[in-house]
Amino acid sequence: MTLLAGERTSVLASVEEALAGIEDGARVGIGGAVTASHPMALVRALAASGVRGLTVVAPTGGLDVELLIAAGCVETLIAAYAGMEGLAGVAPVYRRAVEEGAVRVKDYDEAHCIAGLRAAAQKLPFLPCRSGVGTSYTEINPDLTAFADPVAGQQLIAVPALELDVALIFAETADEFGNAQTTSAGHMDQLLGAAAKRVVVQVDRVVANDEIRKDPLRTWYWKETRVVRAPFGTHPYSSATMVADVDHLKEAIGAGREGGEALDAYMRRYVHGAPDHDSYLEEIGIRRIASLQI
Amino acid sequence: MAAAPTLGELFAVLLARDFRPEDRSLQVGANLPMARAAAVMASITSRPDLRVILGMGVNNLSGGRPAPPVHPFLFDPRSMVGEAVMVQERVFDDAERPDVFFVGGLQLDRRGNLNLFGIPDGEGGWKLRGPGGIALATMSTNCSGYYIVMPRHDARIFVEKVALITALGDRAERARLGLPGGGPRFVLSPLGVFDFDDSGEMRIRSLHEGVSLDQVQEATGFPLTSDGTPPVTEPPSDEELTLLRERVDLERTLA
Repeated sequence: MTLLAGERTSVLASVEEALAGIEDGARVGIGGAVTASHPMALVRALAASGVRGLTVVAPTGGLDVELLIAAGCVETLIAAYAGMEGLAGVAPVYRRAVEEGAVRVKDYDEAHCIAGLRAAAQKLPFLPCRSGVGTSYTEINPDLTAFADPVAGQQLIAVPALELDVALIFAETADEFGNAQTTSAGHMDQLLGAAAKRVVVQVDRVVANDEIRKDPLRTWYWKETRVVRAPFGTHPYSSATMVADVDHLKEAIGAGREGGEALDAYMRRYVHGAPDHDSYLEEIGIRRIASLQI
Repeated sequence: MAAAPTLGELFAVLLARDFRPEDRSLQVGANLPMARAAAVMASITSRPDLRVILGMGVNNLSGGRPAPPVHPFLFDPRSMVGEAVMVQERVFDDAERPDVFFVGGLQLDRRGNLNLFGIPDGEGGWKLRGPGGIALATMSTNCSGYYIVMPRHDARIFVEKVALITALGDRAERARLGLPGGGPRFVLSPLGVFDFDDSGEMRIRSLHEGVSLDQVQEATGFPLTSDGTPPVTEPPSDEELTLLRERVDLERTLA
């Protein structure tokens, strides 16, 4: 009978436990799709942690990238986009930091991001991509190399493996064993996880394993995973059950454009001054949070 | 008689008229309400077989099916409706799907190249930094055709040569490199409609009502050609405007 005594290990963690071990200079992937499904509770905590010199892989980022840059965490950004769609054509903190030379940006097309993450997931040095042939990508991003393919001699671009130390990802639900299920914009989140040594998945709800089993086709799981419960944690971005908070995004963009004391005040109020996710939600207020629910 | 069209309405009608019978799917990117309206307009009228990708939802609007509502952001969770959902991680795995895409940029040049990166300072840094290329290089490489939608037209935007190329429009270069897609179909600006001649140079296809040749040349950083005197852009008909306002743009985002 002792042979059957194994208990499955819970991977539930607090934000602090899950982010512990992200060291200066780490390569951190951040999931999400423009204004949807970014693990913002994890991002705010990472920004407040004081970590430095990160290489951030945020394929289609915005406020996540802004907060990490404003907190001084970022050395290099690997991205296809940094903006807030109609509200800000270019993310303002990112724009200023890149123009001032404080942050280095390496331009990747979305398809380059996918190729690089897949290469890392497949333990390959690179994968070929046609996207960007004839453009300035290889000129402005030394990581991308033009080459003639050995099969048909076509001109292609080699996208190097985007290996990550950790991927921060959002899903609506997970069980305590790291089985995550999303019902919103997944974008390249699953691949980010596959390219990373370990994954931290932020969820709105922790559900029973039996709940996960009702729809196994939707389950994502990775090797080394921590699950962090943070209800409404994509705020001010959207999840499957919450729309994006346009007013808050405008406040953040305004502070970002102004910079200086205005940006410091925003960061103090919502990032450094909120000791945990619940405090952040209190700062936003229940009426605002409730108004965003679909 | 319907009230005069806004610029957004004019763009929507001109796009909707130009789609081709062989176009099977139209993908609308972020922040392009006129392209969205054009896609919906075509799909409920002359193109019942179209798949229209709005936000994350893949839709077909034949048989009087109503268009999904307009949301402020492309990835709004409420856009995950339709007959399929676009999964970004797999969307490039079928390179010939979608057929048609819509793009904009910080700069557009005489050969049809677009820049979304920004303006480098010549010393490895940036004089002006843009948002990044998103998936423009991929879509412009593979789509059977794309439309360049420029909400402003001046000589700092319409330039002889873009500082950096995010999407290669140049017909000769595309052919030399063997890019599979068809390249840019036409360019829309507040002043007119432009396409590219056989050598790949931008030319005037038509000028919008009240726009003079001098005016458009003044606002363009390179000499524009035209076949004789360019015609006036055929304005939207009352029928087109009524359809657009009563069946497509119910939220009046183009007003």
